[in-house]
Amino acid sequence: MDVRNNRRQAGGSSVVTANRLLDGRIVWLAEDGAWSGRIDAAQVFSNDGIEAVIDTATRRQQADGVVGVYGVQIGDDSTTPVPVTVRERIRAFGPTVHPEFATLTEGPPDVR
Amino acid sequence: MSAEILATPDTGAAPVGHYAYDQVDRAFLHDRVEQFRDQVARRLSGALSEDEFKPLRLMNGLYLQLHAYMLRVAIPYGILDSRQMRELAHIARTYDRDYGHFTTRQNIQFNWIRLEDTPDILARLAAVDMHAIQTSGNCIRNITCDQFAGAAVDELLDPRVHAEILRQWSTLHPEFSFLPRKFKIAISGSPNDRVAARFHDIGLVAKPGRHGTVFDVFVGGGMGRTPVVGVHLRDNLPEEDLLAYLEAMVRVYNEYGRRDNIYKARIKILVQALSAEGYREKVDAEFAAMDRARYRLPPETVAAIRARFGTPVLDAPSDAADRLAEARRTDALFDRWVRTNTHPHRAAGYISAVVSLKPDGGIPGDATSAQIDAIADIADRFSFGEIRISHMQNIVLGHVRQDQLHALWQELGRAGLASANIGLIGDIIACPGLDYCSLANARSIPIAQKLSARFANPALQERIGDLQIKISGCINACGHHHAGHIGILGVDKKGEEFFQLTLGGSAGNDAAIGQILGPALPEDATVDAIAHLVDAYLVHRTDGERFLDTYRRLGAALFKDAVYALA
Repeated sequence: MDVRNNRRQAGGSSVVTANRLLDGRIVWLAEDGAWSGRIDAAQVFSNDGIEAVIDTATRRQQADGVVGVYGVQIGDDSTTPVPVTVRERIRAFGPTVHPEFATLTEGPPDVR
Repeated sequence: MSAEILATPDTGAAPVGHYAYDQVDRAFLHDRVEQFRDQVARRLSGALSEDEFKPLRLMNGLYLQLHAYMLRVAIPYGILDSRQMRELAHIARTYDRDYGHFTTRQNIQFNWIRLEDTPDILARLAAVDMHAIQTSGNCIRNITCDQFAGAAVDELLDPRVHAEILRQWSTLHPEFSFLPRKFKIAISGSPNDRVAARFHDIGLVAKPGRHGTVFDVFVGGGMGRTPVVGVHLRDNLPEEDLLAYLEAMVRVYNEYGRRDNIYKARIKILVQALSAEGYREKVDAEFAAMDRARYRLPPETVAAIRARFGTPVLDAPSDAADRLAEARRTDALFDRWVRTNTHPHRAAGYISAVVSLKPDGGIPGDATSAQIDAIADIADRFSFGEIRISHMQNIVLGHVRQDQLHALWQELGRAGLASANIGLIGDIIACPGLDYCSLANARSIPIAQKLSARFANPALQERIGDLQIKISGCINACGHHHAGHIGILGVDKKGEEFFQLTLGGSAGNDAAIGQILGPALPEDATVDAIAHLVDAYLVHRTDGERFLDTYRRLGAALFKDAVYALA
């Protein structure tokens, strides 16, 4: 995975993401170990331990039907996980040019 | 090139404007679809890992982008027929989110494709003689062509038959399927470059010679991280040597091109490293040593391929031009559209119409399935069922009777396709950008939409005149920003979007690379900056001067002040 998708700062928090194999749609690793299409269902991990989580999820990706597992740093100031980069906010909430494709009906109105 | 072409009889009327497939072509496509169906099944079962499957799906035009799989479908030399167009509409409606995106390579992309649907989609495409082969990977990609080929009044020679010959030569070419990097060829038959020949790995300009068709050859142009205007390699390449010489050119690249650094792997870097003369010497040596008889392109083969193209019967009534003039006198909106959205035709009573895919505030190059169907219907009614995609992300109907142009325009209006902005500030090229593309650093489309909305007034657009804005969401330059009169490049600064302006680029005969104006700006400031640039141009231009001319005459300082002095 591109290094820019793995920007994480010590002491921060991240969620784990991938694309679903069957349709390519973006998914997030949820509390129960399942993959959800909604970032607000994602489990939040401390950056200190996330590499191990990513390793485990990567080993399971064929069985889980996902591809391209990596971690996404999120901001600290929201109850719903919000990625810190615009790229990952677009992945999380949908293309900004098609609001009707938003992945969360109550997601942030502007990815910036 | 398959010898079977010569042995296969026609089974029906050939489509106007493009080559009619034969049984060999169709059998091959069928086998290829079934091969991919098996590969997908093995991927889903886990028999193939993602690393093993990725090159296989890319060979079939299937990318994994930001939100979903994206399927890029080839439209050879940008020309398709209404039957094929309707199939694209069906795919958009059935397998995607009801729209498609026409690209700067004259192809179409679908952004929301499911992997498990892809074999069925490819089978549907194959049923109308289409595919997605070589729309990805380090091979020779879709051959692009003048959108007014075979119609333009300024054309010296219709280049589409030779584009088809190059398509056949390059398709699954065993020696050129794993080049150091992707390879793009454009061909034109007009002295006025509308294909950006000087910005391609190989650019060809066909023209009549003393003893038949000849080609001027450009090499080593390109955009991307290292923009280069191609060098003129040779004049008057005889038609019979076209394939041999291109074979030699690509062989030299294949042998000496760098494979150790993806950013230095394009042929432009090799031509710079060897110098134009050094590259030419190696090509000439290869050309001299090769079995020329094997690669000779005989006139009989050219004629056989030409025979598989349908030819329009151009028989407009003698008063067609008068009737168009009358319609223009009585309908001011139509008159404005004709001024901006048509191109002179070689045949009396005919004209080429450009359908803008750049509505006010819209997404450049996008069309809904209903619009794609409408264009197919309109092409059937007005232009022999022939449809062309331009590298400017618009649609061209090549052969329209002048007395029918007003009716065509009314039909376009009903489909929401009558924007009168071709060549103007609203006719923006934009790549998909960060809204879709996994390589992008910044979004391209929202800036295009904001600019399009800001300059929506058609009278203002006409007053500003010829001004090409081109937007890329990353340095790969799919939006051709280097060649924009005003170029916009999205950059990533610590995870946030900024936009760098370049001025002075051109893709035409006066090909030039735009120069960076100053520090990158946030999105809204970028839109304001463009408005300041336009204001400065309107104040300082002389009569008839394009934005590009004013920039070249006065230099960057004036425009730099217009953007940054108030900051």
